[in-house]
Amino acid sequence: MTGNLKLATAFVLLGGMLTSCVLPQPRAELGNLSELRSDEVVIVGRVDLVPKLAEGEQKLEALGTGDAVNKVYLLTNEHYRVFEQEPRMSDYEGYIPAPLGKNFFVRSSAKPFYILGGQLRLTARGDDMSSAYFPGGMKVSVKPGDKAVYIGAIQYYRDEFFEVSRIVIVDDYDRANAEFKRTYGAKYSLRKALVTPVK
Amino acid sequence: MNNRLFVAACLIFSGLLSGCASEGPPRDINDPTNSLVFGYIDMDEAPRGVNTATFLQVAPPSDTPYWETDVNKGLFFQAHLPPGSYQLTSLSGSNTIYDFPRQGNETSVRIAKPGIYFVGSYKYKAVKTGLFEAPKFSIERVKTPTEADLLKQILGNEAIGKSAWGGKIRARLAQLKR
Repeated sequence: MTGNLKLATAFVLLGGMLTSCVLPQPRAELGNLSELRSDEVVIVGRVDLVPKLAEGEQKLEALGTGDAVNKVYLLTNEHYRVFEQEPRMSDYEGYIPAPLGKNFFVRSSAKPFYILGGQLRLTARGDDMSSAYFPGGMKVSVKPGDKAVYIGAIQYYRDEFFEVSRIVIVDDYDRANAEFKRTYGAKYSLRKALVTPVK
Repeated sequence: MNNRLFVAACLIFSGLLSGCASEGPPRDINDPTNSLVFGYIDMDEAPRGVNTATFLQVAPPSDTPYWETDVNKGLFFQAHLPPGSYQLTSLSGSNTIYDFPRQGNETSVRIAKPGIYFVGSYKYKAVKTGLFEAPKFSIERVKTPTEADLLKQILGNEAIGKSAWGGKIRARLAQLKR
């Protein structure tokens, strides 16, 4: 049994469970860099699906699922591990709600952490619930003194069954940095530290 | 891919059943764009039997993506599927649904042109889980019944045998004999 298969098996959701449960707090978007505490950093990055999500591939109609539209939730933790079961609610603590194809800017503790996987809600209507899951195994390197770190664009190549055939980390720093400067001002610098595979 | 397709199972009360599956759009059995998709599941070791198999149309996206069919002595087939990508999404019976995962699903089939598609024969196996874990199962691919065995059974279905499928199935059986 492959790891992917294990991950994929995970996802039995007893009817209604997910919609009726509230996810833990995500890493919050940051409006202004001056809001950052001394022990915090802003993480900048992007998640792409290749090909992009087609119209109608995601059907989220259940109450409370609107936030998941066109987003992959990146599950993160300061300790590395591999999911062998479906992620539990507690695994979502500090997740990054990454809007597909757009840069995210989230505040984070100024410590290195790992991206353990990703979840895309596919259907939530009535009792019909399903998700696709994406591999993790990436390290985000945050150094002392960092205020803003660019981790790259994580591109998941997938088919219509959401089988992932390739993961590519793209350096799209210039575009992200331009957006960063527009958002937070030119006086702040965004350090490039692309995610690295966990060995 | 490993030949064991691990899937998770959940038992859901019958009230939930209706929301999980609906008929696919009506199509004529003799529509030349139809494909016949079929397979077999041995549920002898399952705690409860099944009588319905549901295919999910994953592409092109559809508002009516579910295509149900009966399970008869393990055989299930759908003879009305338009071109697209499909996978078995659940097997269900009285008060029971065995859900298959979206990813890692060996029954996935991509239909580029109309034809006959065999998704395989499988056997249910229970998977030991913890006391408070959701029940799980695996299905293992098995060698029998073969594609030809099942096509002969399908041909025995009066409606299928008399339809345009009759000739196509016979042609496929002849091809398999070679």
